[in-house]
Amino acid sequence: MSDPKTTPVIVGYVRSPFTQAYKGDLKGVRADDMAAQVVRALLEKTGVNPELIEDLKLGNAFPEGEQGLNLAKNVAFLADLPKSVAGVTTNRFCGSSMQTLIDAANAIRAGEAEAIIAAGVESMSRIPMGGFNVSPNPELVERYPAAYIGMGETAENVAKKYNVKRSLQEQFAEASHKKAAKAVEDGLFNDEIVGISTKDGKTISKDGCIRPDTNAEKLANLKPSFSAKGSVTAGTSSPLTDGAVALMVVSEEFANKHKLPIMAKVKASATVGCDPETMGMGPVEATKKVLKKAGLTLQDIDVIELNEAFSSQSLACMHKLGMDQKKVNKDGGAIAMGHPLGASGARISGKAAQILQRESGKYALATMCIGGGQGIAVVLENPSAGQAKKPAQKKVATPKK
Amino acid sequence: MTIKKAVVIGAGVMGAGIAAQLANAGIEVEMLDIVPRNLEEGGDRDAIAKGALAKMMKQKPAPFMHKRNAKLVRPGNTEDHMDRLKDADLIIEAVIENPKIKSNLFKRIDEHRKPGSIVGSNTSTIPLETLKDGQSDALKKDLVITHFFNPPRYMPLLELVSSKDNDPKTVDRLAEFMDKEMGKTVIRCNDTPGFIANRVGTYWLTVAMGEALKAGLTPEEADAIAGKPMGVPKSGIFGLVDMVGLDLVPYIGKSLYENVPANDDFKNVHKEIPLVPKMIEEGYTGRKGKGGFYRMNKEGGKKQLEVIDLYADDITYSPIKEPKMKSGKRAKKGGLNGLIKGKDAESQYAWEVLKKTLTYAAEMVPQIHDDIMAIDEGMKLGYNWKRGPFEMIDKIGVDNFIKRLEKDGVEIPEALNAARGKSFYKTIDGTLNRLSVADGEYKPVERAEGVLLLSDVKRGAKPVTKNRSANVWDIGDGVLCLEFTSPANSLDPWTMKAINKACDLVESNKNGYKALVIHNEGQNFSVGANIQLAEWVAQGKQYWLIKKMVKNGQDTYKRLKYANFPVISAPHNAAMGGGCEILLHSDAVQAHAETYMGLVELGVGLIPGWGGCTEMLRRNFENKRRPGGPMPPLTATFETIAMAKVSTSAEEARSMLMLNKDSDISMNKSRLLADAKAKALKMVDDGYTPPKPATFRLPGAPGRAAAQLAVNGMFDQGLLSSYAVVMADQLGEILSGGHKADASVEVKEDDIRALELEAFMRLVHDQRSRQRIQHMLKTNKPLDQNKDFLAEDRKLEVTTSELRRSLKGSTSLTGALHKPSKALKKKLEPSFNAAALILKGNPENENKAAPTVIKQIVKKPVENKEPKEQPETPKGSKAAPKK
Repeated sequence: MSDPKTTPVIVGYVRSPFTQAYKGDLKGVRADDMAAQVVRALLEKTGVNPELIEDLKLGNAFPEGEQGLNLAKNVAFLADLPKSVAGVTTNRFCGSSMQTLIDAANAIRAGEAEAIIAAGVESMSRIPMGGFNVSPNPELVERYPAAYIGMGETAENVAKKYNVKRSLQEQFAEASHKKAAKAVEDGLFNDEIVGISTKDGKTISKDGCIRPDTNAEKLANLKPSFSAKGSVTAGTSSPLTDGAVALMVVSEEFANKHKLPIMAKVKASATVGCDPETMGMGPVEATKKVLKKAGLTLQDIDVIELNEAFSSQSLACMHKLGMDQKKVNKDGGAIAMGHPLGASGARISGKAAQILQRESGKYALATMCIGGGQGIAVVLENPSAGQAKKPAQKKVATPKK
Repeated sequence: MTIKKAVVIGAGVMGAGIAAQLANAGIEVEMLDIVPRNLEEGGDRDAIAKGALAKMMKQKPAPFMHKRNAKLVRPGNTEDHMDRLKDADLIIEAVIENPKIKSNLFKRIDEHRKPGSIVGSNTSTIPLETLKDGQSDALKKDLVITHFFNPPRYMPLLELVSSKDNDPKTVDRLAEFMDKEMGKTVIRCNDTPGFIANRVGTYWLTVAMGEALKAGLTPEEADAIAGKPMGVPKSGIFGLVDMVGLDLVPYIGKSLYENVPANDDFKNVHKEIPLVPKMIEEGYTGRKGKGGFYRMNKEGGKKQLEVIDLYADDITYSPIKEPKMKSGKRAKKGGLNGLIKGKDAESQYAWEVLKKTLTYAAEMVPQIHDDIMAIDEGMKLGYNWKRGPFEMIDKIGVDNFIKRLEKDGVEIPEALNAARGKSFYKTIDGTLNRLSVADGEYKPVERAEGVLLLSDVKRGAKPVTKNRSANVWDIGDGVLCLEFTSPANSLDPWTMKAINKACDLVESNKNGYKALVIHNEGQNFSVGANIQLAEWVAQGKQYWLIKKMVKNGQDTYKRLKYANFPVISAPHNAAMGGGCEILLHSDAVQAHAETYMGLVELGVGLIPGWGGCTEMLRRNFENKRRPGGPMPPLTATFETIAMAKVSTSAEEARSMLMLNKDSDISMNKSRLLADAKAKALKMVDDGYTPPKPATFRLPGAPGRAAAQLAVNGMFDQGLLSSYAVVMADQLGEILSGGHKADASVEVKEDDIRALELEAFMRLVHDQRSRQRIQHMLKTNKPLDQNKDFLAEDRKLEVTTSELRRSLKGSTSLTGALHKPSKALKKKLEPSFNAAALILKGNPENENKAAPTVIKQIVKKPVENKEPKEQPETPKGSKAAPKK
């Protein structure tokens, strides 16, 4: 048995609604305001005394402009956290907030902290992908242009290399929307969504990217988005999205002491680099690596969250790893939910933990690809697997601004 | 009382267009229409007006000069929102042409309006006397007819009809508003059917169609005679009816028929074309319907212009064939007389149309107006005629015309008799006079205060200096006016010479010259550099001369900018490429509201080389509202030039930073020159100091790399041609300051100009640029918009980095010289060949002999042993700005 003092566990998961960039309800909300509201709601939901929080780790893929300076510390101020709480902004592009979870877990493993908020945020409406001042290194552009390859192009490369037909990509996208729509219908997001107040006094509490009516036939009419001769469309890509997510990561001992229901233990984590031109395949090696660390095989995993950057890479990864489709993205994936870069890693980790609880599974895997050529993965474990279900967590209240 | 708020009732084509133009003038507008009939419960009661507003946002040409102007128009309905009339200074109705409906509406307007507000009716057929009938004395006092032409933003004519009930001061105030703020030329008309333009215009259309039928001409034949050769827009007669609407023309015709005096010749000519009722019934109402006399058949994805068979019983179209008519050539050679003097059917038709139309116009004096010039102006501004009827008679010769009328047994109208042995217009002591028909005396044409026409200045005066491409005029008070005179006002070495000469004159302070205005009254301000000339020179491989022309242009424009006197440009219509660059180098621009400007060089395979890149970069740098960091000014400039953006109005040009903060807009074209002159003099009075050259901190290679990354994506998406990738990279190099620029280094304007010149030369050496020039000369359209070409070009299996290497003399991001390989050339051949195929058979490009004048300028310096330029092989350091 591991030492409860140094065993990291997730005891809370909340997120903002995910809405479309430029058009959605959250386009007018700054990333720091959005993240602060989510952090406050997390504290309220878990009841953790803020004085006991060691650090706020915040993932963000384009930390400039409104997302600039040390975003994490400013979010801590905006969320009225005590001054004693530290803040660090972490960038691993799409993997940023999965990285904050891993960093939080590692700090607890090392005995450096008892309670950490691992969060992530991205306003793709307000800070464009690439940022305001794209300044690539000219030498690198010449020597190794793939370092700056566009994401759409990588999706095309994967589709071509692994022969992922367009119609399959569209079926996959349709399934993602259908699962997400069903989850909305069944109220499966009610527990995790935090209403976000906007400047004009509205509270936004509904996801905005899910299209319940979409189907493969409709998607077949779309033009390719990245290559005139390609197969990847806007419908088979995750949309540009605004959103924020926060997880409460504490030691098992801390959880027991404060009677915090444990959602999952963070059992193992892994990061790995790969070919940037097919960055979508990052989850393959990351998954292999993390399973090895955890001493598990894919058969041991009950719940899989695989970030759907694109249909093509999701399908290719699933195929390559031999994943059981039924286990993957049960409440829908990023194609339907949206993919606010810095926030997605924490969402799929929290979601994996949530489904583990819901289904009393034992192990969950969350993994994602990362622009520039990386993969990242975590394995979560449900300590109460097979036991009677615990009472549900406290309902989230809409935070007061 | 000034007009600050207006209400337009009726959101149809005219009402909505008038509302938009009021908004363009900065007026707050309430646009009301009826509540939709059969509205479902909870339905939108403002739906009609809202729909009209939404439609206008998409309409092209756009009714709004700037999208934001739409915010000034508030849609509403005539049941719930009549209270909005209470603070309106001007109320215009443009509802259906039904006297009863209008009468009821005026009564309702009268209930809600504030006392003294002006009420205008946009009726085209109902007399003011009829409109006044049964209205209160107060309304009669404020009611006038304000007749706009469609589309209200673009047609400059406003016919204003007032009555003895009106307070003359009110009418004057309204006329002034329409003139200065709405930009309209106001003609005060008598209260006669169809006023001026529609009275003569409808007669003309009716006669021209009737005579075509009599002569057995097809629509395209008739239009080829009575269109452009007669000085009428080339859409001609049938084309114009298609535009106006086949249903509307008979409506106006019928109304005229019923209202004109019994002895009016319109009663005799008014006749229906047998096929037209059937066409209207079946929805062939013209461009707004399924088609008219012409239609664009888009079946099978291809566009085919078709024409109707006028003489068939049923509606049948067939593909149009270019009619082989002689009229065009005849008119070119012999003017109107050349057109009508022959004996064949063509000349006969032309004569019949002109004879009847011009005689009718003469008969209309003084009924519709006692001033022949008002009738001429009406036809020019309301129907886009090049010349008014009396100007046409002058061209034919009054006595000549009368003689031929007499031969045909036509009774000579009073107005023509009054002009026997004379002409209708005459220049006396440098002033234009027109004949007063009533007393046979000439009366000088007096312009309104604040109106200055270059054509008036020129009349009887001699230019201060002139050459084959430009004149310089003294417009008084120490201001010189440079006028382009080259074909389409294109710019060439002589233009540059004239500009320099004008600068010399002002600098010398001779005759008290102190400022320069650049202005002309051509169709366009300038279409840009004379690319035909460049093409001829390039054909002769005299690249050194092209380089000299580019450098000379740069230096000349730079001189304009930094001269010690103010330079004001006063453009109208198109100002493209080099024409746009001249505006960018002026201290300020006094632009007509309808100014369309843009740096469109990439459309002909080139980049702006006369300082346009430099100047736009400077403006984007100095834009205080831009986001921070080194990239946004570069990105904004790159987008403007790479996408060859053209403003759709002067107001939009301001948003694009093409008009600077000292620039202003004149709504009325006839006030443009006077406004520009006043601005120049004010600058002199305010103690003019020239601007200081700017320095920039440019990102260098990372900026160019960022542009490359963006372009890569667009090329992959199939949005760019292969050569566009090459051109964009050259532009990226200029705007980033060259590969040695860096945020820690200051770059001077001259450094960027040098980069412009080098990139220009690299491009002009490339056959692909030449193909683009040739295609523009041949078709007036960019090759990169040719679908057949793009289809082939997009088949290329080539990477963006290969494309960038394909330009001789281009360098890598780090400054290393690229060497295009034979293998690469072979890869690009299909695109080159596709372009060559499209250009094939084009007499313009195949070794056409250059005109003697070109040979002269090419020859001279060669004899002088001008050092032959090395082919462009800039080494890395050469392209770099000085540190």
